[in-house]
Amino acid sequence: MMPRLGEGGAPPALPIGTLLMGALALLVGAAALLLNTDTLTAGVNSPTMVALVHTFTLGFVGLIFAGTLQQLPAVMFVTKLAWPGLGYVTTPALLLGSAAVIVGFASGFHPTWLQVGAVLTSLAWILLLAQLLATALKRPPKDAGSQALILSVVFLTFTVVAGFLLASARTSPGVAQAVGYPVRLHLTLGIFGAFLLGIVGSGQKLLSMFALSKGGAQWRVRAAMLLITAALVVESTEAFARVSLGPLALLLLAGGALMQLLEVAAIHRRRLRKKLEAPIQRYVLAHAFMPLAGLLVLLDQPRAAAAAFLVGFVGLAVSGMLVKITSFLVWTAVFANARSGGVWGGAPLLRDLLRDELEPVTTWALAGGALGLCITFVTGLPASATLTVLLLLVGAASQLAQVAHVVITTVRAGRSLNRPAPAAPVRSAVMPELGPETSAEEAP
Amino acid sequence: MTETTLTEILPALPARNVLESLRAVIDPELGLDIVSLGMVYEVTVAGGNVVVEMTLTTPGCPLHASIEADVKHVLGQVPGVEDVGVELVWDPPWTPDAMSDAAKSALGFW
Repeated sequence: MMPRLGEGGAPPALPIGTLLMGALALLVGAAALLLNTDTLTAGVNSPTMVALVHTFTLGFVGLIFAGTLQQLPAVMFVTKLAWPGLGYVTTPALLLGSAAVIVGFASGFHPTWLQVGAVLTSLAWILLLAQLLATALKRPPKDAGSQALILSVVFLTFTVVAGFLLASARTSPGVAQAVGYPVRLHLTLGIFGAFLLGIVGSGQKLLSMFALSKGGAQWRVRAAMLLITAALVVESTEAFARVSLGPLALLLLAGGALMQLLEVAAIHRRRLRKKLEAPIQRYVLAHAFMPLAGLLVLLDQPRAAAAAFLVGFVGLAVSGMLVKITSFLVWTAVFANARSGGVWGGAPLLRDLLRDELEPVTTWALAGGALGLCITFVTGLPASATLTVLLLLVGAASQLAQVAHVVITTVRAGRSLNRPAPAAPVRSAVMPELGPETSAEEAP
Repeated sequence: MTETTLTEILPALPARNVLESLRAVIDPELGLDIVSLGMVYEVTVAGGNVVVEMTLTTPGCPLHASIEADVKHVLGQVPGVEDVGVELVWDPPWTPDAMSDAAKSALGFW
């Protein structure tokens, strides 16, 4: 049975609300950074900086990931979501948990806030993982993209659980003695295991769909899964067995990232929709930050490399898909079962939901902000920090405005159509002169 | 380009008229009608009963409910049509090659 959004997935208000909260989190983070610009030039990971990073990872990326998981599995696995109402539990838990973690870091690694936040976010992600697995069991996906998505959520759950261990290690000597303080494993799990692999998995399906490409190679996605998983095994061994395996993990991660670059390049090259929509252009542009991150690693600039990967690659990719996914979700929620019909009944096209002028602002302000972060971390220039923060603020505001505009425009259009079915079509994109060939066969 | 099969069994109206009516059904994502997009594989008219066998750009397409509803809405307005059935099929899978030249041009293929 085919999934229907709002039926096969969660009630639309759940993912839409979560996506909006994610977009808001980026703006809040950028505004907080404006008040703490000096943290960018301090040269150390201050509590404020760690809080801001978690606003980005848990707030922006995490919430959007969680919102997407309320619908995307139903579409990718072509089945119904196992527990459509789960978001009523997980979304508040994620919001409160993320806020507690951020407050905990901002207040100087306050253990109580951190532990409360870690418990809530861990619980939420364990539930979301259980839901994803239960959904997959209903119709086990065979394509590599879906499998990569599942694995990414496994790693994301491990990431927050590792965060819980870190929080516990700060207050419990027993925990610290048993597991050490595996910060690097926590970072690698989150950045590569969860975010990169999540983008690899969902991106292959979504980019192929939006670019009208015949699809990429399954082997590249499987290779990315294998390489990233191997890297995480190596890092786990290093963290818990207290041994050093040199640059092996880094090389494996670079290989995984390369697979994604090759995959996106292949889909992009084989696309039949030559002019991609602006949000999809942003998604593709995001991948330019991966080689930049690699270059910065080679130049021994780990903070700048992390900024390029997290804010540049992950940020732009998530931002691009955020706009597309939100417009699909809201449109479908409002018009899919409308009595008046969809586009035929006067509903706007998906592309009509966007404010075109906001898209380049979002793309270039966020890309400029990510680049500015790299420059600031390398040079330590205060002027660069100020410009960077302003760009990120503009990009985040533009993105939130776009997402809010999509929701408001669609809901308003839906209300205006809340009337009996029209007698005649009001929109047509008919091309009778060049329609497809037909063949007639008449039965007796 | 999709070659739509038109089948008529003591039809109340020509199947070709049904196919032309389906040009009012627009894919909300691509902004083009489903006939030009090559999504309609077969139209069968038996008396006043119409069955449309069609596909979508991808299995699990989140817009399928809307498009299916629009097909029923549009054909429900056509004189002579008494009942409309929509069968979604995935074999053969839709590819961009199924589109008409005008649709390809509209999406900037060339």
